[in-house]
Amino acid sequence: MVIASLFGSAVGINRRRTLIPLVVAAALGLFLAFRLIGGGEAPPVVPDIETTGETDAETADPEAEKRLAVEAGRQRGSLVDSIVFVRESEYGRAISRLKAGTMHIMGDGRSDPEMYRRIQNSPKLGSEISYGSYGALSFNPVGPTFPTTGKLNPFSVPKIREAMNRLIDREHIAQEIFGGLAVPRYFPISSVFPDYARLADVARTLELRYEHDPAAAEATIAREMEKLGAQRIEGHWMYEGEQVEVILLIRVEDARREVGDYVANLLEGIGFQVTRLYRTAQEATRIWMSSHPREGRWHAYTASWISVIISRDQASNFGVFYTPRGRAAPLWQAYEPSPEFDELADRLQRRDFTSWEERQEMMARALELSMKESYHVWLTDQINVWPKAHNVQVAADLAGGMTGSILLPYTVRIGEELGGRLVFGATNVLAEPWNPVDGSNWIFDTMIMRATSDRSALGDPHTGLYHPQRIESAEVTVAEGTPVIQTLDWVTLDSQPEIEVPLDTWIDWDPEERRFITVAEKHPEGLTARTRTRIHFTDDYLETLWHDGSRVSLADMVLSQILTFDRAKPESPLYDEGFVPMFRTFQTYYRGFRIVSRDPVVVESYSDRFFPDAEWIAAIAAPWPGVSDGSGIMGWHSTSLGIRAEEQRLLAFSSNKADQLRTEWMSYVTGPSLEVLAKMLEEAREESYLPFEETLREFVSEEEIEERYSNLADWYEARGHFWVCNGPFYLHALHPIEGHVEIRRFERFADPADKWLGFTRPRIPEVVTDGPGIVHAGEEASFEISITFEGAPYPEEELEMVRYMLFDGRRELIKQGDAVPGDDGRWRVELSSEETEKLRPGSNLLEIAATSTSVALPAFDRISFATIPEVDR
Amino acid sequence: MSRKKSVAGSRWSTLTRIARYSAFRLAALIFTAATGVFLTIIIANMGGHLDDIRKARIEDEATQQMMMDPETQMMPDTDRREIIEQMVQTEIRRQGLDRPFWQRLPGDLWSAVRLDLGRARDMTSPSHSREVSRIIIEHLPATLLLFATANFMVFFAALGLALILSRRYGSLADRAVIAMAPSSAAPGWFYGIFLILIFAYLVPDWMRLPDGGMVGDRVPEGTLAYAGTVLKHMILPVGAMFLSAIFISIYKWRTFFLIHSSEDYVEMAKAKGLSSRAIERRYILRPTLPPIVTSFALMLIALWSGAIILERVFNWPGLGTALYSAIQHQETNVIVGLVVVFAYLLAVTVFLLDIVYALLDPRVKLGEGGGRQ
Repeated sequence: MVIASLFGSAVGINRRRTLIPLVVAAALGLFLAFRLIGGGEAPPVVPDIETTGETDAETADPEAEKRLAVEAGRQRGSLVDSIVFVRESEYGRAISRLKAGTMHIMGDGRSDPEMYRRIQNSPKLGSEISYGSYGALSFNPVGPTFPTTGKLNPFSVPKIREAMNRLIDREHIAQEIFGGLAVPRYFPISSVFPDYARLADVARTLELRYEHDPAAAEATIAREMEKLGAQRIEGHWMYEGEQVEVILLIRVEDARREVGDYVANLLEGIGFQVTRLYRTAQEATRIWMSSHPREGRWHAYTASWISVIISRDQASNFGVFYTPRGRAAPLWQAYEPSPEFDELADRLQRRDFTSWEERQEMMARALELSMKESYHVWLTDQINVWPKAHNVQVAADLAGGMTGSILLPYTVRIGEELGGRLVFGATNVLAEPWNPVDGSNWIFDTMIMRATSDRSALGDPHTGLYHPQRIESAEVTVAEGTPVIQTLDWVTLDSQPEIEVPLDTWIDWDPEERRFITVAEKHPEGLTARTRTRIHFTDDYLETLWHDGSRVSLADMVLSQILTFDRAKPESPLYDEGFVPMFRTFQTYYRGFRIVSRDPVVVESYSDRFFPDAEWIAAIAAPWPGVSDGSGIMGWHSTSLGIRAEEQRLLAFSSNKADQLRTEWMSYVTGPSLEVLAKMLEEAREESYLPFEETLREFVSEEEIEERYSNLADWYEARGHFWVCNGPFYLHALHPIEGHVEIRRFERFADPADKWLGFTRPRIPEVVTDGPGIVHAGEEASFEISITFEGAPYPEEELEMVRYMLFDGRRELIKQGDAVPGDDGRWRVELSSEETEKLRPGSNLLEIAATSTSVALPAFDRISFATIPEVDR
Repeated sequence: MSRKKSVAGSRWSTLTRIARYSAFRLAALIFTAATGVFLTIIIANMGGHLDDIRKARIEDEATQQMMMDPETQMMPDTDRREIIEQMVQTEIRRQGLDRPFWQRLPGDLWSAVRLDLGRARDMTSPSHSREVSRIIIEHLPATLLLFATANFMVFFAALGLALILSRRYGSLADRAVIAMAPSSAAPGWFYGIFLILIFAYLVPDWMRLPDGGMVGDRVPEGTLAYAGTVLKHMILPVGAMFLSAIFISIYKWRTFFLIHSSEDYVEMAKAKGLSSRAIERRYILRPTLPPIVTSFALMLIALWSGAIILERVFNWPGLGTALYSAIQHQETNVIVGLVVVFAYLLAVTVFLLDIVYALLDPRVKLGEGGGRQ
């Protein structure tokens, strides 16, 4: 028909008749095209989405899992044989490829309800979800009028900002705009990270206080507007004869456009004249970040933030988001928090508290005050969906998703089988140079680097706590009054009135003599520290291997310590101006490093910095061959080639220095750098070159030098690159133009492949509460709580806390306490007759919050019941 | 003797005329190219506003870096802000933003005109080089391979088929081509999406073709096997470009040949009884050669530009992809570099075409007193 019509057109038949099929064909084409690239229907509300972080993996088969564990125990390194990373920039096509079976994982997490629906509707697809990005409405606080324009700024009034919390329906945003791929958020701390769980009672009380109540919000705003001298005439707010204008800066790249429109509609509904400025990131930055808020170019902005790791301590967020200390930008300088809040934020940021209880009290008060200030009205914690093939199992990070999971290389597998070749789609591959000191920090690069690099301790993707990898145990000692808690048993924690740093501890570096400076030299009067961490590495640590077969030695570790100092010393040929700020940070807390025993390796680290978790203190303090956490972990022999090349100004480790020297940024894997590094290797072999020989000589024998360079030369000849690390995978091949990297299982890796199998699925508790719908005042009431995981009772010892909170009809917290454990994952809340007597007649709410030591995400459930006065019986 | 002198003088005069013309033409072309580059630098830098955006971003990134670093949380605020400031200033110097845009402009223009393309701020080439020239050169082969294959196929197929159709004016095939010509209104990537949908997902497994990229998830070791894989991956994008361009090209050339076929001298040749092949070769093709050569030359230049959307649709790592990435990351040096190369190629081609015209068409003379007659 279409073809015939086209022919008709050619020979001059009635053109109107031919136009119709053309239009139909074009429409059909556009529809198909749209379907292919993933567009189409309006974003639906995703049905029954688990907002507790549960993954959408294929149903676990316990027998197959056991079989896998047994087989994996006999294999070294990873569970799969190889992972191929391919460049895939189109999300829609990636979904099609996952369906077609030509890809197993797409390393791109998105809050796209339509895509999530496609994933859910396909039996061939599965997904992991993560949190981490969060949205807010940020206000310009200058006022009451802008000095530049003289116009009124309603958001200069804290009570109006505070009332915005009640005006906005977060549930609407989460369900209707994000299609269920978001959860409401009220505070500067994430609702899915540990701090929220620890403060669940305070948080829930505040959330109920600030829950959606547009009438109350409007009344407060009206009251405050009148105080400002504005009048409401025919539904419009007028100030000095003009309608009060609110300029809403709306980002257009994502769902924030709809969020902005929603907020604009709300503001218009209560009488403001809203000017909607739709802007992209860079356009918006010039307005809200670069311009001075006094200019009055905007009133509110649809902001978004991201956290790529599970932050176990968010106490600093108050200082960061609510005080001028947070940022140097003009907007932050306009913040004037109340003196009490300002002091609290400052103390929390500096960790100026002496006990955990004191911290929690301060946090609770800060949460309350943050709602009063409300420079930002927090809206949602977004849920990112990471698509994968239905049969792929992997430990995804609750904050960083697939690409941010440090356990991905240790846990990823296809079905419950060993081996196989997994194809991983990444938006970019080999984006920037890889080197062991200051290479690429693109997430898609660091993800592959991490898979090829082993570490002393690995972060739990579900709790953020560290677990030992090459560490046997750690002893953390803190100065008395330093509030630190310990959760896992690989760390011991104690305190002392004062921690003295031994005089032979290395504290600085002499770049000219190329030797460490001891505490005795730099601080002859003596030095104290706030923490001491003694790390015992595993007995077989020095038996582990680099990918080229070279054995690990203490020199690898010492070289990384040297580079930490040397690159910040102007006298050194490795001096890098861009590194100095980070070094200055390091210097503010660093109090020394000492080798206690060479075999087995035991070291001590001294610091004035601490984290709330002893596991964090130990993991961060543990020295390791790697210089930067994001870069590859390499031995001294591989790193020495780069050192030599930079000393000769042929290449540079960092982007900054490469630009200064007008040379290439060093790449150990491809490009013109390889030729230079190969030349360095040749020279190093000839000269038996040992970098920083004055210090490293005592750790390295002549034979080791010869053997290591020989191994490296063999490696380069066989593989064509210098990426020699120590992880469960080695870099097998790469094709930069084609965007293709293949890593293969390192068969001589120290650990069996089953080591991290237990971390695959986040053990998020599932809480169900049951109890009477009606409670007579003055009578006892009992509520049953069932806590399970995948249908099985949740072990009591794994549960950190099962807390209940009882709210009355006015949403006032009447009582809180801990539930009592029973059998088979059942818990009980008993309300005594005295307690029920205190309840007013009407509806009450019993909230249950359960937190686990296995996962950071708290689980909630609630049950409503009515109280009937005794006389009504 | 005087005749020899006269001939020598005439040659000398011709040479002088050509040299003068060439110099003037070259200067004009360089001036045009430089103007284009100048405008590109201004536009790519948003008239200097990009500096503000970059500075804001640098500050934002430095602050975010410090905020996200757990090691800095306990640091006194004054120290933290001082360190952020140090980071910001270092990065501003690295990116050359410590001098205002208008001060940098003459130097940037002079470098670009001299083809000193400089270094990208953040972008690197596939082999991890910051040199803009390498970024271009390393992306070029993929683009040339794809676009040359498609355009050569379209060009020669269209010419051949157009000649045939011009002889069969009004036939069914002729009408079919005319009818299909509007289909070229849709760009190659549009057809690409359909081809991917059909040949990568809907057809039976044995017929399936790759949906994008240059190679699959297995990169063959041997050269022949590698070439085979790349060829297989080229089928759909080349097919898409071919489909998009072929009908309008045939239509264009066919009409062109038809017009030339009705010239008086062709009618005269027919009247003389020359064979149709001889007429085609001597009286149709020869006079139409300059436009054909022009079209061919311009096509060769177009190969360099790549195509952003088509390369994105097919995940093809060519210049279009590089340009997209450069625009996304505001890599002005890369954008300007690509424009400079393109401008020079265009200028050189236009210059060469002037000479080629003169060689091909005796009616065309260069310089004063020359010109088309």
